[in-house]
Amino acid sequence: MEFSGKHILSSSVESARLRKLQLVGILCGFGAGAWLGAAEAPTKLVKLGVSPLVVSLLMVVGVFLARWSLPALIRGTGQMRVDIRQAPHLIVWGVLAGCLWAVANTLTIFAIRDIGLSIAFPLWNINSLLGIFWGYLLFNELRDAGKLRWLTVLGGALLMFAGATLLAFASSAQSLAEHPLRGILAALAAGVLWGTMYVPYRKAYLTGMNPLSFIAFFTIGELGMMLTLAMAYGGGPDALLHQLELAKPVLFWLMLGGFVWVIGDLFQQYAAKYIGISRGIPLSNTNQLWGLLWGILVFGELRGLSTSLYTQVIGGSLLMAAGAGAIALSSVTGKEHARWKQAADREGQRYKVDAGYVQAALSGNDASDPSGQPAPQSARTWLDYLLVIAATAIFITLAVLARAPNLALNWTALFALAGAMVIFLLACGLALWKTTRFN
Amino acid sequence: MTDENAAPNSAGVWTMILTDVHFWVPAIVLLAGLVVLHWIR
Repeated sequence: MEFSGKHILSSSVESARLRKLQLVGILCGFGAGAWLGAAEAPTKLVKLGVSPLVVSLLMVVGVFLARWSLPALIRGTGQMRVDIRQAPHLIVWGVLAGCLWAVANTLTIFAIRDIGLSIAFPLWNINSLLGIFWGYLLFNELRDAGKLRWLTVLGGALLMFAGATLLAFASSAQSLAEHPLRGILAALAAGVLWGTMYVPYRKAYLTGMNPLSFIAFFTIGELGMMLTLAMAYGGGPDALLHQLELAKPVLFWLMLGGFVWVIGDLFQQYAAKYIGISRGIPLSNTNQLWGLLWGILVFGELRGLSTSLYTQVIGGSLLMAAGAGAIALSSVTGKEHARWKQAADREGQRYKVDAGYVQAALSGNDASDPSGQPAPQSARTWLDYLLVIAATAIFITLAVLARAPNLALNWTALFALAGAMVIFLLACGLALWKTTRFN
Repeated sequence: MTDENAAPNSAGVWTMILTDVHFWVPAIVLLAGLVVLHWIR
């Protein structure tokens, strides 16, 4: 009797915790959309004569700086050592995911150059459909989820895709496609690479790695791959240095784009961790709506179009929002979560990862805390402070050297959108802190 | 008594990684992406 009472209590605590984590995951998915959408704005500088490879490389350098300083600021780098000891094999997946991101990001810059941001964006957002496929096939997502949840997730993703296509048609009215086939291929390939990049993400989080540790390894693959590409296709080290010299006035803006992207990606990774990739990716793909808002309101895109085209833009946006809403409402059931646990157990057994570590990570707790309560924040060392100071100093130096790009901007809209991003940052950060202490 | 959860050695880890479909799916997609990038650049 006592056992039964304890069991009921424990399972109700577990299901309440699960619901809380899902809400945090959904909020993070929407927060990711807002920040990832804003990160695309600096790619407009490609039209100002900076090589796509240099743009991508500089964004990656910004990402690298942010990724080695933000985790140090939030949690201290000491936790990384614990993660490496528990699951050293995940370093390989971290590096692999970084390589995938670097190639995909470079492809998107070629795509934007050839067919414009408005068409390229929805094309590479096919990654959410691929994410649902990989989530189902490889990680037991949506298994035993019931017809209704299948309908809402898949239907929601298809609604978002339809909305994205409508936006693409509307937006293409203004774009001058110089190499349409090449641009479309680049955008589609980027979508496939990004959709597959979530395979390493999910693998890492099922096994228990903290997103803040994973992204640190991710950046090594990302920067290594990007440097190799820039050297190979940019004409060698001398030519690359010359290009960097030419890009000096815009270094800050591009690296800032990388920095903004990191914050969006962190939220995206927490979303992938707590609601899975089949739900997390579509939600973070609301970045297209944010990208469109930046394009229309800040950069003055799509001015002077006909009423029917504006109707398409509004209709496409509403479809995307409806799709995201459907996915957000499709919670993970206890049965489906049990299938996630099976996938996590399979990973743990294969790579001999401590079962307590895997379980604690699935429930957003610290593995070292047997009570299951969030543990206090890890202590930071002098190395963490050094990383934060170095990254900040580099950004300040580049900001001093930077020149404002010669683009007409609507500053009121820019501040309004930046304000919305800050609200998301605070809401997601507080929710993560309260629920998981970033574990 | 043997410890069933003993961490595998480095060669063992690599064998597990290289026989894991979760490794080959992204690895092959990455190679395909590099081919596309080479063609369109």
